[in-house]
Amino acid sequence: MDHSGLLGRIFRGVALTLVLVFFMFPIVWILMMSFQTNEQILRIPPRLLFEPTLANYEALISGQLRTAAGNLEISFMRNLFNSFVLSSAAVVLALLLGVPAAYAFARFKFRLGETIAFTLLSFRFAPPLLVLLPLSLYYQQLGLNDTYFGIVWVYQLIALPLILWIVRGYFEDISPDIEHAYRLAGHSWREAFTRIAVPLAGPGIAAAALLSFIFCWNNFVFALILASADKQPVTVGALAFVTASGIQYGQIAAAIVLSVLPTLLLALYAQRYLVEGLSLGAVKG
Amino acid sequence: MGMLELRNVDKVYGSRGKPPVHAVRALDMDVPSGEIVALLGSSGCGKTSTLRMIAGFEEVTSGSIALGRRQIHRLPPAQRKVAMAFEGYSLYPPLTVRENIAFALKAQQLPRSEVTRRVDAIARLVEIDDILDSYPRAISGGQQQRVSLARALVRDADLYLLDEPMGQLEPQLRAVLRGRIKGLLAERGMTAIFVTHDQAEASALADRIAVMEDGILQQFASEKDLKNHPANLFVASFIGEPPMNLLQAEVARNDGGFGLSVGPDLVFQIRGDTLDKAAQKELEGSARLTVGIRPQKVAVGSGDVRLRVVSNQWLGDQSHIAGECAGKLLIAVTPQRIAARPDDVVPFAMESRHLHIFAGDGTCIHHAEAA
Amino acid sequence: MARLELNSLTKAFGAVRCADDLSLTVEPGEIVAVFGPSGSGKTVLLRMIAGMFEPDDGDILIGGQSVVGASPERRGVGMAFQNFALFPHMTAQDNIASGLRAKETRSDAAARVKSIARLLKIEHVLGHAPRELSNGQKQRTALARALIGNPEVLLLDDPLRNVDAKLRYEMRLELPSLLRRGTAAVLYVTQDYREAMAIADRIAVLINGRLEQVARPDEIYGRPASVAVARLFGDPSINLAEVAPCVEQGGVFADISGSRVRLGPVDRHAEDDGACWLGVRPDDLLISAAAGEGGIPARIVAVTPMHEKAVMLLRFADGMEWLAALPSEAGIARADEDVFVRFAPEAALLFDRATGLRVGLPHRRYAA
Repeated sequence: MDHSGLLGRIFRGVALTLVLVFFMFPIVWILMMSFQTNEQILRIPPRLLFEPTLANYEALISGQLRTAAGNLEISFMRNLFNSFVLSSAAVVLALLLGVPAAYAFARFKFRLGETIAFTLLSFRFAPPLLVLLPLSLYYQQLGLNDTYFGIVWVYQLIALPLILWIVRGYFEDISPDIEHAYRLAGHSWREAFTRIAVPLAGPGIAAAALLSFIFCWNNFVFALILASADKQPVTVGALAFVTASGIQYGQIAAAIVLSVLPTLLLALYAQRYLVEGLSLGAVKG
Repeated sequence: MGMLELRNVDKVYGSRGKPPVHAVRALDMDVPSGEIVALLGSSGCGKTSTLRMIAGFEEVTSGSIALGRRQIHRLPPAQRKVAMAFEGYSLYPPLTVRENIAFALKAQQLPRSEVTRRVDAIARLVEIDDILDSYPRAISGGQQQRVSLARALVRDADLYLLDEPMGQLEPQLRAVLRGRIKGLLAERGMTAIFVTHDQAEASALADRIAVMEDGILQQFASEKDLKNHPANLFVASFIGEPPMNLLQAEVARNDGGFGLSVGPDLVFQIRGDTLDKAAQKELEGSARLTVGIRPQKVAVGSGDVRLRVVSNQWLGDQSHIAGECAGKLLIAVTPQRIAARPDDVVPFAMESRHLHIFAGDGTCIHHAEAA
Repeated sequence: MARLELNSLTKAFGAVRCADDLSLTVEPGEIVAVFGPSGSGKTVLLRMIAGMFEPDDGDILIGGQSVVGASPERRGVGMAFQNFALFPHMTAQDNIASGLRAKETRSDAAARVKSIARLLKIEHVLGHAPRELSNGQKQRTALARALIGNPEVLLLDDPLRNVDAKLRYEMRLELPSLLRRGTAAVLYVTQDYREAMAIADRIAVLINGRLEQVARPDEIYGRPASVAVARLFGDPSINLAEVAPCVEQGGVFADISGSRVRLGPVDRHAEDDGACWLGVRPDDLLISAAAGEGGIPARIVAVTPMHEKAVMLLRFADGMEWLAALPSEAGIARADEDVFVRFAPEAALLFDRATGLRVGLPHRRYAA
């Protein structure tokens, strides 16, 4: 079973490199684009070697977009901030609601329990466009249009089902006896929930939070309709790069890099929690 | 020459980034035709790896396996002429119990009446004749295990391999089935190797027991030999229910031979002429060593060693009395009921001739007189 | 000091009756083993007392106070679980300390953890997380956690199930004195009859949610209330034969495989006439090569040594099979030999075939 021959090792190295290049190519290409001017990008044939420039990033951070047709004000940094506020608030809200709900669904059998859980999940596969029109009408009447609160309220609907279903599975994997043991030692069920169940489901909660953060971050349609310029997240803000004098590929690439960065860092940081075993060998395995 | 020969078999499990695990080391074993052998050990001792290498589910890292003079360790499992009962039963869910058992006979292309006759006979033997038309999911774990046994035993094979064959059986049925299966194997002269962690099962079924630990065959002998002539401390403390009492003793040379003192009032006198040369030398060279005595050889109620009783438990057919002896528990087992309560001080008796003596490296240098 | 009383407890899950009119009293300082085959309702019973399930009917009293409806943390019950149920994110020390009910000062708590850990020989692993402990250490940690709060009622759910044979034997010797340290009323669930006999003051035999017998270990072994109880105690288990006992010449006799065997004096089974199960323990059988009065001819199918005894599978002329367990030293007989089987009349137990109850006992189920 040991392919330690020299030929085998070379072949394996080449194959791995090919696969890696194939999957990483779009990301690498975007990273390279972000350091090029529009002219360099549109050169035919494209070149792998170029003189890097930070102009795209400067433009994004200063908010001054120089195009052939003149200067354009963009609010990319504001958009990035909005994305961050909206997604975090939505995830925090969904966690507060979803974790106790997931616990209830995992531990207790109640009437219509499965139905409710499934209904919540079904929000994920309803097309957003379907609810968009009535939603914006309601929002206008309620005065929620173009408010952070209004958008967060919709965003948490994206996050809640994910959190509910992922965390529920983690709670179900914890032996109820562990909580029983804690309660018999004189602790209330609230203590058993906060000191035993939640810490043990920690990796699951982290995974669910991260995933739903990414989903919220990537949302486009709700923000497009419900938010105006100063509340827009990056997904909507990116439209500004389609200008009268053409599409600003360099800035778009730089914007992508900047907007991917927070989620990427978050994922890298959370990875060790995600990998960490769930039950840690408490119950005989 | 054995019917099954394992020669210098090694099994190493290697995985990237971890040190390799040496599951079986230099295993030599001969099993003559018609013998029933148990591979006995705790989990991780290499017994299951050994069985799986014989069956062909696991490659040998080095060494060879021969069955009836055929080298089989490079053959695929199907060509080895072995039948196997798996620990997880592995019954086919879409087939009834009868079909599951008959399936094992497919390759032999027997006439239908012969298949029916054989399936019925083996089903009666393991008491599943009333569930032949049930499906595996509809029967209990104990019944599934019996079906799995029947499926292995119904075949004609050179060698029968059974992985924990009786662990899940209903306790009321276990002893009877052991007797019947042993009778069947003997009557048909079948050669069988089974893996177990339960020494009661090993001693009940097997002609010889291979005791394994850390991938090494510690001793391969009959149950009686394992009890009377354990090769080392491991075998001595592993075999026997309850385990052998092991005590630390100080060695003192005296005119008759040696005095082994466990405590101030417990000294065993060993006569020099009962020891062989090597044992004498070992005793002369050591100040402390380990002595062992079987709980069945410790008498309670008479004798001159007075010990504080820690517990006295009557199990219906025997008493287990634990006394505190030199800081350790000394267990005595007798078929009588003993009137002693915890904290009573009661006389215990042990005789030098029942003593096993172990050298510093664990090898047994002197055995007790055979029962 | 509180007594545990169960009054007519009943609990059903769907059509399965897990507890059927269960009544049992456990005195402070007493250890009662709840013993029965798997699925007989042992665990459900413990969980009702601990407050994880509520009974459908009946009452649970601890120290004279009904605890039905009270939440688990208010019942004063300690429990050790079969799967240990240690808190994986806490050290052994914190696991054990979590069992302290009263709010004690930190140094006080640490001292108590230390003393119970010393008793259970796990002092050296107090700083370890559960995943770093062996099964035996996990089990001792779980026991320490249950014992440390000095609960009035201590429930042990087959605590030795998941530890290896050697350790199980050691714990069997140590447990009784550990459990008797306090004055807790102890219920100890097990599936191993030897463990029940070794540890308990009394054994409650639970079969299909009903208590078949509650008595001292030696009484259950020697005078089982029913054939079902008799079959659960003993390894190998008791030999049974269908017989129709009859009274003649001042004794009770029965035919076993064509041989007439004396079962006892007349006054022992005054009312007997009907169909019975005869039960004889394998240890009570005698094997000899010579024919003679009361000897039943049989052939030895196989000899299977077990627990220092020679267990023989015997087949009688009519095909019936019995087991005999003889001391190993008497290992004269071999497989395929023809022998004669005898037993002393007082070794014979008779059970009514219809009810399964032992003949000679008042016909009622035991209540404590």
